[in-house]
Amino acid sequence: MSFLRVAAAVARKDLRTELRSRETLPALGQFVVLALLVAFFGFDVETGGLKIAPGVLWLTVTFAGLVAFGRTFASERDQNSLEPLLLTPASRSAIFAGKALAAALILVAVEVVLVPAMGLFFNTPVFSLELAAALVLATIGMAGLGCLFAALAAQTRARDLLLPVLALPLWIPFIVVGGRAVQVALGGGGSLNGALALLLDFDILFVVVASLAAKFVLDD
Amino acid sequence: MATTQVSTLTPARADLLRIAAILDALLLLAAAGLAVFYAPVDSVQGLVQKIFYLHVPSAIAAYAAFAVVLVGGLVFLWNESPAADRLARVAAEVGLLFTTVMLVTGSLWARPIWGTYWVWWDPRLVSTLVLWLIYAGYLLVRRIASPGRQAGRFAAVVGIVGFIDVPIVHFSVAWWRTIHPPIETAAPEALPPEMLLTFAVSMVAILLLAAVLLGYRYRVEVLRDRFQAALDR
Amino acid sequence: MKAIEAVGLRQRFGTRTVLGPLDLSLVSGDSLAVLGENGSGKTTLLRLLATASRPAGGELRLFGLDATRERTELRRRIGYLGDVAGHYPALTALENLEFFCDLHGVERARAPRLLEQVGLAAVGRRRAGQLSRGMAQRLGLARALLNAPELLVLDEPDAGLDEEGRGLLSRLVEGRTLVLATHDRELAAQLCRHTLDLSRRALEAYR
Repeated sequence: MSFLRVAAAVARKDLRTELRSRETLPALGQFVVLALLVAFFGFDVETGGLKIAPGVLWLTVTFAGLVAFGRTFASERDQNSLEPLLLTPASRSAIFAGKALAAALILVAVEVVLVPAMGLFFNTPVFSLELAAALVLATIGMAGLGCLFAALAAQTRARDLLLPVLALPLWIPFIVVGGRAVQVALGGGGSLNGALALLLDFDILFVVVASLAAKFVLDD
Repeated sequence: MATTQVSTLTPARADLLRIAAILDALLLLAAAGLAVFYAPVDSVQGLVQKIFYLHVPSAIAAYAAFAVVLVGGLVFLWNESPAADRLARVAAEVGLLFTTVMLVTGSLWARPIWGTYWVWWDPRLVSTLVLWLIYAGYLLVRRIASPGRQAGRFAAVVGIVGFIDVPIVHFSVAWWRTIHPPIETAAPEALPPEMLLTFAVSMVAILLLAAVLLGYRYRVEVLRDRFQAALDR
Repeated sequence: MKAIEAVGLRQRFGTRTVLGPLDLSLVSGDSLAVLGENGSGKTTLLRLLATASRPAGGELRLFGLDATRERTELRRRIGYLGDVAGHYPALTALENLEFFCDLHGVERARAPRLLEQVGLAAVGRRRAGQLSRGMAQRLGLARALLNAPELLVLDEPDAGLDEEGRGLLSRLVEGRTLVLATHDRELAAQLCRHTLDLSRRALEAYR
């Protein structure tokens, strides 16, 4: 089916480019370490302990997300490659899906660095399957919305301003529910399944909406 | 030199707008008077409860305006009608105005009840803030994107996605709240007839205000679009 | 059948009219060279014909289809080489072409074939960012030909091409429905049957 072929091709192209040029990942890795540093001096880690972990985690993921999703379309613009891409008959939704998938994977790669780093930071292992599930699920939905607005912002003259202004308010459901999920995963009592199910519902809703809307954002 | 009267509405509609504006001014005065002097003071919440007569109608006006933004955006994406785009543009401004009123009154109302002007766990306060941010973003997109087709399309997308997201935000904060011990809020009781009357008058006054503002703003936008078209020619 | 039919075609940047009004028609199999000095609107016109931008006024039909409404269908049938090639620098020449094969929904085997046709078979595995200007231009040409287009729109395709490159260009465009923008009048005469000179029109617009 050509939708899958196009989406897969676009995702592969983005990931391959990232692997070879290594522009985004190292920058994000640095950002993560710096964010933890700021958190260490900004928060009282000894007293707060694991209670502040979800906050630190989501703050870092959110801002790393802004960078990662922003670059998805900004780099196309900078390389002048967006136009040849859009001048093909390929479905805009498929192109968008491919880019969002690649961007989500890049952010997940950053999270793979972030979680153990937090373990070091809080002096207790934080990784668990539940935590990973919460992070991955939230990342997918955030990628859908984030890439949609990144595509929009990249075509205007103030892209660095527009992306956070549009994406952050709309990410709140993911941050609220994801934050709760991470709290539970880190040992706060309560059931995780409700939160994970909600995140999945959000993902389905927003990925569909974003893919449909992409048609109007990626068509001049 | 003769001056030309530039008309944006048919004479009948222009008159209707003017009448509505005058009527509304009277209604607003009436509503204010009723709220201050006629409506009884709430036994539980006290005097501050009267902010309800401003807060709730503003909320409804804001949501109605954003529904117009949603529909206008959908229509514009469908057939590129400049009127739909214009209506959406104007409704977003009016909606943002009433959302601001909603935020301020909501915050003032919260203070005596919860002791602070702002809490993050109240779904209404948070979703109102998000609503405000989304539509401020909508207007920002309009300003920053290439005017005309691009601005219209991008704004429509923001308006539509935002409209879908706001109830989700509300829901997720409410969901979060059920996990944490609920703070006692005054249980809503049936409204006595005096309150109902005051509320009804305020409601009509504020909704009419929204419609009047929309009408006048729309006229300005028609003029602006015509000016732009003349420049382009 | 008319490949291109334009009536009163106009383009504006802001309030300035940069092209038109222009009437133009081209029959399938025919070739047109667009000449004119810098700023006369060559690129603007070609972008309109390639559906890369929307006209500010007038009517444009390509293969009988409305150029603003049937863009997806038209993009299947048009090959465009713009003034900026826009290759993916981190991908090899071959990978760049294979990517576009996927986007067009055609078999990937076309990619190496086309590389050969434009004389880039030897550098297929070199990253596009490391190609010389002439090579990048040839790669752009290959990309424009990937979908076996019924209409070829080339903006200064000769820029950066050496003697051999120009020979290739001649061979590749032979027999195709072609619109080509260039500064080189000799090349224009060699490759195209008709010419359209935009300079005088540009001067008229400014007067």
